Amino acid sequence: MSTAHLIAVGSSPLGETDLPGRDLFSKALAEAFAGLPDPADVVDGLYVGAQSERYENQIMQGTLMAEWAGLRNVPAERVEACAAAGALALKNAVRDVRAGVHDAVLACGVEKMTAGGTEGATNALGAAFERALEQRSGITAPATYALLARRYLHETDATEEDLARIAVKNHRNAADNPRAMFQQAVDLGTVMEAPDVAPPLKLYDCAPVTDGAAAVVVANNEVAEDLSECTDAVRVAGVGSAANNLAVAERDLTYVEGADVAATAAYEDAGIGASDVDVAEVHDAFTVCEALLAEAAGFAPEGRGTETVTDPADRSAGWTDVRINTSGGLKARGHPIGATGLLQAIEAHEQLTGRAGARQVADADTALLINEGGVADAHTAAHVLTTR
Amino acid sequence: MTDPDPTTTGPLAPDDITADSPFTLPGFFGALSEGRLVAARCTECDEHMLPPRTACYSCGGRAVSLSEQPKTGEVVSYTSVNRPPSAFEHLAPVTVAVVELDSSARLTGRVDAALADVAIGDRVELRVRDPEAAGIDPAFDLSYEAEWPVHVFELA
Repeated sequence: MSTAHLIAVGSSPLGETDLPGRDLFSKALAEAFAGLPDPADVVDGLYVGAQSERYENQIMQGTLMAEWAGLRNVPAERVEACAAAGALALKNAVRDVRAGVHDAVLACGVEKMTAGGTEGATNALGAAFERALEQRSGITAPATYALLARRYLHETDATEEDLARIAVKNHRNAADNPRAMFQQAVDLGTVMEAPDVAPPLKLYDCAPVTDGAAAVVVANNEVAEDLSECTDAVRVAGVGSAANNLAVAERDLTYVEGADVAATAAYEDAGIGASDVDVAEVHDAFTVCEALLAEAAGFAPEGRGTETVTDPADRSAGWTDVRINTSGGLKARGHPIGATGLLQAIEAHEQLTGRAGARQVADADTALLINEGGVADAHTAAHVLTTR
Repeated sequence: MTDPDPTTTGPLAPDDITADSPFTLPGFFGALSEGRLVAARCTECDEHMLPPRTACYSCGGRAVSLSEQPKTGEVVSYTSVNRPPSAFEHLAPVTVAVVELDSSARLTGRVDAALADVAIGDRVELRVRDPEAAGIDPAFDLSYEAEWPVHVFELA
């Protein structure tokens, strides 16, 4: 089996923009290939994560992105599992490189979420939920996560303020991230007094609707070595993924089992354990997810997941010293659905190559990424990246 | 309440999977429109699944049978959808809950009550309604959904 490396990364600006999806992709590609040969001379395949054709009335995103990258007559496919689409693109690229199918693959993701306004985004995202009983009951993304949050607050000692502190922490981190959509801190009072979206979740518990694209190059040893003067390689050491049930009613509301399975598989693939992870980007589409994922990934004891905000020295017994969502997370970096899993990979690449600036975690050499789609762990893809 | 039909004690044959059978959505909603809420029950591990399906997500077995469900249960979690999808907009805020029926089957549904009047553990009863009478924009329906009823929970 070949070794897969993440050798180059790029993203578009994140937030509401004038640029359609393909142009956002061009921005991400331009950053990823700055100083590199043409994409056609580096990669021989492409995967693109894209949640919905409703935003821009466009499928065939694989063909379109390949064309926009100057790639022709290569395999180029769209992959989709709602918000896990980006990590699926990465996973498929890594699999192809490991298997020797391709020497290097472009994994990218794009979403133009603001194209149809708030109503367009609500309806497009609503398609991720079970149709027969749940969509037909009028649920939305915030409502399904509110069902998790309500139950989590019922079963644990955590409070709405504990969830709010996760949003505060992620905004603080984003203030130091030049890629982030919201590069400003918010205080606890602002988060607590914000309007209800789906109680107990309030506005700042929810990741924003975001336009954006991301692109990363996954390469084998040979390509990574050939391009070593213009790139920095980070090894993709572990991959895991799993689907859980689609309907939220048929899930454990306080244990994201699919995420546990995916993270455990990624750790085993990498030959590490949870305590080896220095930095983690986990899918905080809603604040409660960060807590649930900290527990599922083995960082936190059951019911203590909201201590992601706490300095490692002050956390409960059984917690690791991992730093979570140093990028600002989905909440504050932004959440352009199909690109999010790759934005997580970009943060890990920056942390592990010492490029994270003011948010750099000292001596970070191993990262975990957890990207989810549907309600929580309806689909999870997890990756371990390392420079060890 | 378990259907003794011997064709449902092992893997279903293609001919068993018809629009009359609650193992399909038309059959499930057909039964619901007559007031019967029918789940699949795994004969290996006793998992209950709504709507019914031909394999068990819990143990992977295909020896599933049909089981008419009680309409009473309790609230496991709940919220209100303050900005629902456009077809439900005029009903906002929409109170929704995950309910565990007395059989252990679980499903999500709207609750005909204000958020402040609902709590975890509350007893509820499932009612079957015509979607138009329930106030949902008919434009929301796919062609094959037009005659399907919707379910709503009322506080018991």
